Amino acid sequence: MEDPFFPVFLSLRVALTAMVFVVPAGIALAWLQASRAHRFRGFVDGLVLLPMVLPPSVIGFFLVWLFGRRGLFGHALNGLGVRLIFTPWAAVLASATVALPVLVKAAQPAMETVPRELLVVGRSLGLAPVEVFFRVVLRGAWRGVATGIVLAFVRAIGEFGATLMFAGNIPGRTNTMTIEIWSAYQGGDESRALSYVVVLTALGLATVFLSARIAPSPSRPR
Amino acid sequence: MTAAVDARFRASVGEGEGAFSVEVEFTLERGVLVLFGPSGSGKSLSLQAIVGAVRADRGSLAVLGETVFDVERAIDVPSHRRRIGYVPQHHSLFPFCSVFENVVFGLPRTHRRTVSRETHDLIEELGIGHLRSAMPGTLSGGERQRVALARALAVGPRLLVLDEPFASIDRQGKTELLGMLKALLTRRNLPALLVTHDPSEARAVGDTVVTFERGRSLRQTSVDALADAP
Repeated sequence: MEDPFFPVFLSLRVALTAMVFVVPAGIALAWLQASRAHRFRGFVDGLVLLPMVLPPSVIGFFLVWLFGRRGLFGHALNGLGVRLIFTPWAAVLASATVALPVLVKAAQPAMETVPRELLVVGRSLGLAPVEVFFRVVLRGAWRGVATGIVLAFVRAIGEFGATLMFAGNIPGRTNTMTIEIWSAYQGGDESRALSYVVVLTALGLATVFLSARIAPSPSRPR
Repeated sequence: MTAAVDARFRASVGEGEGAFSVEVEFTLERGVLVLFGPSGSGKSLSLQAIVGAVRADRGSLAVLGETVFDVERAIDVPSHRRRIGYVPQHHSLFPFCSVFENVVFGLPRTHRRTVSRETHDLIEELGIGHLRSAMPGTLSGGERQRVALARALAVGPRLLVLDEPFASIDRQGKTELLGMLKALLTRRNLPALLVTHDPSEARAVGDTVVTFERGRSLRQTSVDALADAP
């Protein structure tokens, strides 16, 4: 019988690995959108928002279409001996796809509230643009960014539909907690499903509590 | 003698109907030059171009004989290497830093933890020694601008630009600050540009005045001429 903790550790590993990509990419995207009125702002905004509004099965379909064995990029990757579909890396990619917009949408408004004057002051004090970003923007917007990271992590660990389509339900390999809940319930093993429901509910409650503690509010400094 | 500031440029912001541009031409030999004029005449946009927050469309700027930007010659010193101190009207302090952290913000990391003699003197000179650990949210408008001034001076700029720094300060605080600013600049022999639309401020600190109107710098006169204006 499969180790009951496997789906828990796999989910954590998948979500944490996804966050390794999501955090830098999400923060950079949020800053790009918050700081510049560039020509492609609307397009990038739409692209970032898309995974939030699309049904998970549609996201899964697109991921298979792009990274499947005969997919747009998957074909080339296959040629290099890299196979994503039905591997834990597929679960990582699915989780990262749905988590990225959550981080961007929380971090961007927080970054927009950092007054432009402070960036000019920072540069006038001799800070290079990258220092201004870390010492002024991120420090000024840390509550929004941290809230975004927490919410994105929970979104990543809770991903189901796209993961099922792209990573599949392979016991001992790609069965994350959400997939295991569905799988156990389908198989009539409600108590097994319930144990993962409890873990994910506890995680959700902890997130709500944590994000309420760190989210920016008018009554406390950013 | 090399001029402290030689500015001849055009800068623009916005697009379409919201577009606004300013034509600037002035020279500051030494002392304080006041950029004077009504709101919306282009004073602040000129300062934005000087500190590097906005790129000029054409023309050039030289500070102490060194070209800061020259659009035609494709020279543009990045804003963080211009050594031009900046004190804005609003949002002048980093809200997440104490007064002391604000003052030493631009210093190298090793100088931020210990107070050097220069920083100590500067803090005392501006009368903010007792506020070191205070957070910006607890300060009055006048105190905030003193801290902003100390921070700008702490990094040793070669030019100081002030964008209506006293606009939201009460009369008594303003008089005190103006006197303090004048003394600080004179003692350091530091050239400065001050944006204001208040003639009394211009007279208190300025040596020469350049008047702005509808996006143009018109004439450059001595500050006494402004005092005589109706």
